[in-house]
Amino acid sequence: MARSKTDLLQGTLDMLILKTLALGKLHGWGISKRIQQMSRGALEVNQGSLYPALYRLEDRGFIEAEWGISPEGRRAKFYMLTDAGKRSLREEKRSWKLFSEAVELILQTSQ
Amino acid sequence: MMMEWIRMIGRRARIVLNWRRVEREMDEEMRLHIELEIEDLVGRGLSREEARREALLRFGGVERYKERGREARGARLLVDLGQDLRYAIRMLRKNPGFTAVTILTLALGIGATTAIFSVVDGVLLKPLPYPEQDRLVVIFEQNSPSNRWPLSVVDYQAAEAQQRSFDRLSGLARSRAILTGGEQPERVRVGRVTADWFNTLGVHPAEGRGFLPGEDRPGAELVAVISHAFRESHFGLGAEAVGRTLVLDGDSYTVVGVLPRGVESLVGWRADIWPILQLQPPPRRGPFFIQTVARLRSGVSLDDAAGDLAQVSERIFPIWADTFQDQEARLTPFPLRDVMVGNLGGPLFMLLGAVGFVLLIALANVANLQLARATVREREVALRTSLGATRGRLTRQLLVESTTLAVLGGLAGLSLAVLALDALLSMGPQLPRLNEVSLDGRVLAFTATLTVLSGVLFGLAPLVHGLSSDLAGTLRSAGRVGSEGKRSGALRSALVTAEFALALPLLVGAALLFTSLGRLQNVDAGIDPENLLLARVSAPAAKYPDGASVQQLWRLALPRLAEMPGVAAVGIGSGVPPNNPGMINNFDLVDRPVPPGSSQPAVPWIVVSPGFFDAMGIRLLRGRTPDETDTSDSPRVVAVSSAWAARFYPGEQVVGRQLYAGGNMTNPVTIVGVVTDVKYSGLASVDQSAVYESYTQNAWRSPNLVVRGRGASVTAALVRNEINAVDPDVPLTEVQTMREQLAASVSRPRYWATLVAIFAAVGVALAAVGIYGVLSYFVSKQTRDIGIRMALGADPSAVRRMVVRRGMVQAAIGLGVGLAATLYLTRLLEGLLFEVSATDPATFGAVSLLLLGVAFAACYQPARRATKVDPVSVLTEE
Repeated sequence: MARSKTDLLQGTLDMLILKTLALGKLHGWGISKRIQQMSRGALEVNQGSLYPALYRLEDRGFIEAEWGISPEGRRAKFYMLTDAGKRSLREEKRSWKLFSEAVELILQTSQ
Repeated sequence: MMMEWIRMIGRRARIVLNWRRVEREMDEEMRLHIELEIEDLVGRGLSREEARREALLRFGGVERYKERGREARGARLLVDLGQDLRYAIRMLRKNPGFTAVTILTLALGIGATTAIFSVVDGVLLKPLPYPEQDRLVVIFEQNSPSNRWPLSVVDYQAAEAQQRSFDRLSGLARSRAILTGGEQPERVRVGRVTADWFNTLGVHPAEGRGFLPGEDRPGAELVAVISHAFRESHFGLGAEAVGRTLVLDGDSYTVVGVLPRGVESLVGWRADIWPILQLQPPPRRGPFFIQTVARLRSGVSLDDAAGDLAQVSERIFPIWADTFQDQEARLTPFPLRDVMVGNLGGPLFMLLGAVGFVLLIALANVANLQLARATVREREVALRTSLGATRGRLTRQLLVESTTLAVLGGLAGLSLAVLALDALLSMGPQLPRLNEVSLDGRVLAFTATLTVLSGVLFGLAPLVHGLSSDLAGTLRSAGRVGSEGKRSGALRSALVTAEFALALPLLVGAALLFTSLGRLQNVDAGIDPENLLLARVSAPAAKYPDGASVQQLWRLALPRLAEMPGVAAVGIGSGVPPNNPGMINNFDLVDRPVPPGSSQPAVPWIVVSPGFFDAMGIRLLRGRTPDETDTSDSPRVVAVSSAWAARFYPGEQVVGRQLYAGGNMTNPVTIVGVVTDVKYSGLASVDQSAVYESYTQNAWRSPNLVVRGRGASVTAALVRNEINAVDPDVPLTEVQTMREQLAASVSRPRYWATLVAIFAAVGVALAAVGIYGVLSYFVSKQTRDIGIRMALGADPSAVRRMVVRRGMVQAAIGLGVGLAATLYLTRLLEGLLFEVSATDPATFGAVSLLLLGVAFAACYQPARRATKVDPVSVLTEE
């Protein structure tokens, strides 16, 4: 089970959730699996920490939830992006790009 | 941005309201997650037991995430609030002195404001207690924006028959009547009303019925509705009231209904009995006595109705042109509420403003107290910050504390308001709608808002200071030496400055109102008010059915009264100074008639006995006064006041001129004399034109009796005995001295002035306490500085000067700002002032000096304490 895990920066999880939901609505477990898949397992969130993040996003109006039937045939709560969430995702992407480029730049020059 | 914020509040509110469901869903969601994870792991070949362990591990503490989930949902806020509240209460109990002073100050401000607001709300703001009250109007005759009067029978009947704008229209004739049939005759207040009166207002009797259509036609049975209070006092609550008979002025009325309890007055007229008003076909256009209330048809505007009624006016004018020449007069509707409230808006909003200033001064003091304490609490705040409390959390804590204080102050203020309102209502003059004033839900909502706003307002003061201080420095200095931040010092001074800026307009306002009141009371009413007794005497219509019999009664009674020991003079008059003209009559000069179509002049027309002039102290200037030799068989004569003579015949001979009175264009009356001026239309009135006619030519059923005592006032009992000896059925009511009457005529201005003076006194006292507190605090913080200065040889008087100067500068700046504001604010008082300029320099100067004196007195004690600082002990303390 030895995997190199990267700690998630505060706020990054929010962005990842928004990104995941940009592809369509998902329930909580689905989101955690999708994040794992997309990062090819490199990023592993402590799965429980997903939920406070979801509620926070819901509180801020970026996502909304409805109850439905999961692909596994279970009653589950599905989350989806709101318009405000889509705007926020674009915003986050842009600033993330700026940030990572800046970090990249620093790392390169210090070599 | 705003919308986002509102939506978020909405989401949070939904969550708090559905907390149980939210919790359940969170449980379900997390359980499903773990189960799916287990399934997934089992699918990858783990045993169920291993899979469960791994899934829980990966999830990482269900309870922990539930808690963090709750936090994310804003529930944290509620939990914290409870904690903050407990903490706040603990802190307040630890400082009982501080807490008590704060709560008292707040209670004073909030209580006074609440009491005044409830009066303003009840009189001005609240809708009238009638269904769809905004559709109710009063119809007047009006010929200029400032001159309107009630309708005559002609006007009323025409309006009733021809109008197309109202659902209902009804009339009220306010009067008093003699009720007989009981143990002794009784003068009661009656409102004679037409059949649709109660339906127009939407008020329905609690027992029996209202009036039926046609009951107001002459010849129909005489019926009446009575008030609940009258029912209780005259029939008792047990017995049946409907069907009883009442004898009013000799006519028998059958009671058909009783109004609900509490409905003692309608449209501002309090009446014991509401008899039906049956209007006889009129012989001429006047007199004008019917208060007409109508209910607008839905969808019809006031302007539409005005247009409709103007047409009615034009149609009736030519028909009655020989008895009424004013072609300008129009039937005009006014909103009922405006008519009832009259010109009270100015003074009442002035009071609300004044009390608002007191509240602001109180809040400034409380904010100052909070600031002082924030400095003391610096260490606590610093400690909590270093222990990880966030700034937001501390802010919240402080706001919760101040709001708790405010709520306690608000509750105390509310109890104070109950007492204050009671005093306001019982000691004040009669105002319309006072019976609707109460501490109701509207007032409570106002107080609650005020309380919370106050809490936030003074709660913010320490925030400016407390949270920005240098933590490490504070902790190290151990809070010993004055580490007062520059910012909080400045804020403190600014607050004191503001208090003086607010106190000045209050004090100037009070001074102006009192100066005005003094001038009003010094106005010469034109009479000698000493030893003068006034009373109303009424000849009951049952016994004295016509003018001749009424005249005979007075002819008999007056000489008897005049012969009483101690009586210097006695008379009757239909009007009395200073504010009861009795009747205002229009007239036309025979030799100088007004042009066709324009208004005739109208002045107080006083029906008197000859003794009236002597009793009042009115002197004859020329000719003679009308007397008992002028009878219904001789030519009609009048005397006029010298102001009347100067107005209509300036510099000319007046005696011998003739005029047509009250629209009677056939028999002119002749002026036989000129007498000195008297104020009949209020002490502040300018025009003193009046006409006097003898009671032997114009019978007056309920005149005012005026009795001048010789050296002392005659007692009412003696007068009553003498009247009873003539006829025991003649009641004597409204007994008072002329001094009382004069005082009562200025009761409103006196009330406004007294209230503003009370507010000013409280405001100034609070401002003095404020400056005293700030300086005392300053001295205690600067003890070390002062000690060092004195050790270096500073003169105590120099120290004293320094402290006093500090305080006086703050006060002086406040006064400067206040002066500018006051110059603007007192202009709003102009309508309430009599012969005083709203910017009277003497008043402004005197009040400013007084306030400076108060400030100096408040500064002096702390300054003296500063000089008592012992340099040795200060220096060895370190």
